Amino acid sequence: MTQPIELKGSVMSFTVLKVHSDDIGQVQHALAEKVQQAPGFFQNVPVVIEPTVTALPPTFLAQLMEILRQNGMMPIGLRTQDEAIRQQAEFAGLGIFDIETGKRARAERAKREKGESCAAAPGKLVLKTIRSGQQVYAKNRDLVIIGSVNPGAEVYADGHIHVYGALKGRAFAGAQGDETARIFVSRLEAELVCIAGLYILAEDIPPAIRGKAVTAFLQNEKVEFSELP
Amino acid sequence: MSRVIVVTSGKGGVGKTTTSASFSMGLALRGHKTAVIDFDVGLRNLDLIMGCERRVVYDFVNVVQGEATLKQALIKDKHTPNLYVLAASQTRDKDALTKEGVGQVIDGLKEMGFEYIICDSPAGIEKGAQLALYYADDALVVTNPEVSSVRDSDRILGILQAKSKRAEEGMEPIRENLILTRYNPERVEEGEMMSWDDIVELLGVPLLGAVPESEDVLNASNAGVPVILHEGSPAAQAYEDIVARYLGEERPQRFLTAEKKGLLKKLFGK
Ligand SMILES: Nc1ncnc2c1ncn2[C@@H]1O[C@H](COP(=O)(O)OP(=O)(O)OP(=O)(O)O)[C@@H](O)[C@H]1O
Ligand SMILES: [Mg+2]
Repeated sequence: MTQPIELKGSVMSFTVLKVHSDDIGQVQHALAEKVQQAPGFFQNVPVVIEPTVTALPPTFLAQLMEILRQNGMMPIGLRTQDEAIRQQAEFAGLGIFDIETGKRARAERAKREKGESCAAAPGKLVLKTIRSGQQVYAKNRDLVIIGSVNPGAEVYADGHIHVYGALKGRAFAGAQGDETARIFVSRLEAELVCIAGLYILAEDIPPAIRGKAVTAFLQNEKVEFSELP
Repeated sequence: MSRVIVVTSGKGGVGKTTTSASFSMGLALRGHKTAVIDFDVGLRNLDLIMGCERRVVYDFVNVVQGEATLKQALIKDKHTPNLYVLAASQTRDKDALTKEGVGQVIDGLKEMGFEYIICDSPAGIEKGAQLALYYADDALVVTNPEVSSVRDSDRILGILQAKSKRAEEGMEPIRENLILTRYNPERVEEGEMMSWDDIVELLGVPLLGAVPESEDVLNASNAGVPVILHEGSPAAQAYEDIVARYLGEERPQRFLTAEKKGLLKKLFGK
């Protein structure tokens, strides 16, 4: 029998969508016009997004992906050097392409990965409620929120997540796969709790633990909860 | 000193235009020179609710595009000399408004001595809604007691805090106020709708007032009269309270709890 899967390096060609505006309405309009000119041409076309503007609004990528899908295209990746946008891409589930190709990019990345450890960095601190449609990401560190995470909001950290308020939205700790990451909340009313990619949905959270101050952690590949003392 | 007040919600059809009409009428009746602008380009209806649709010659877009002066476009209200309406265009598309153009209109109104400038926002969270809130000093966030409306209000609050002029320039943030409309305490008690305290807790915005579900609202808008003028109507009393509280008066909240049913009613239903 042959192997069930096989990984191969290859160079494929994509349609690159350069985005010159940070106004999602404008972009949506322009896209719709383009697609209208040749509707068949864009059907199921894989698209790599390349923003030429920086400081995109936090939900820009997510909105753009939705618009692309509505127009029949398939967003698969992002090409940018902008760290903030790359972070958006990671949790939007987009692949990241470097703009400089080949050795240099790889060398850079290796340097980055080997470089600064996150141990010394203090957690990312947010002093307000995260509202519906907003996302916050603490890269390589913990996330501390003094406020609530409202329904429809998402918070991510590569380390632990602390919510000194109610967690009503979604929380993703250990976003890069750290299975020892935990989530601490003053009041658990979450839509979803996820640690290192393993998640539990609202309906599966034990009723006895709802509304309580709890910590969530991984045990035997399952998200478990215990009440805080 | 004038204040720019946006009436916004995210979700459509929750009562922004109803609120804009009654709130601006309430301010004007108390002697404040007030202008109310319809930002819902393409879906003109503030002028209908204000009963001035037949007097619209020039509109907001005409002024923004320099085709008419503010003076030409402002429509004086029939009931009070303190109230003026700037209607939306029915014929133009949404892109006719620009940030600069809107800014000039608002500056123009301030120069004309308007104390309050009310911006009736279109639904949604995109360009039209963002333009309506951009220059705001205060926000009236209109919410119905249902999950989707509350969720959208939460989103619009995030945008108020991130994409308004005050936010972008690091000034003192927009003052946020919550207005619950179509509030039905009976249905809340039966668990069919969200309760006001849950909504306030979630949004973290102080409650300016609740407007009960009332047939008078539809009747008033069909008659082209803001419901606040409908004497004796609970909706009118609610908007009257809201205006008073906005201006700093202390008034206890009303319309939040169901009336106690008498024993007979309890026995025989409604
Ligand atoms: N307190 C109330 N009781 C009963 N009906 C109401 C109440 N408030 C608003 N309505 C009704 O709800 C409908 C929508 O109201 P309105 O036009 O003010 O909403 P809107 O938020 O401006 O809508 P849009 O998003 O389309 O601009 C109207 O039919 C109106 O009569
Ligand atoms: Mg309206």
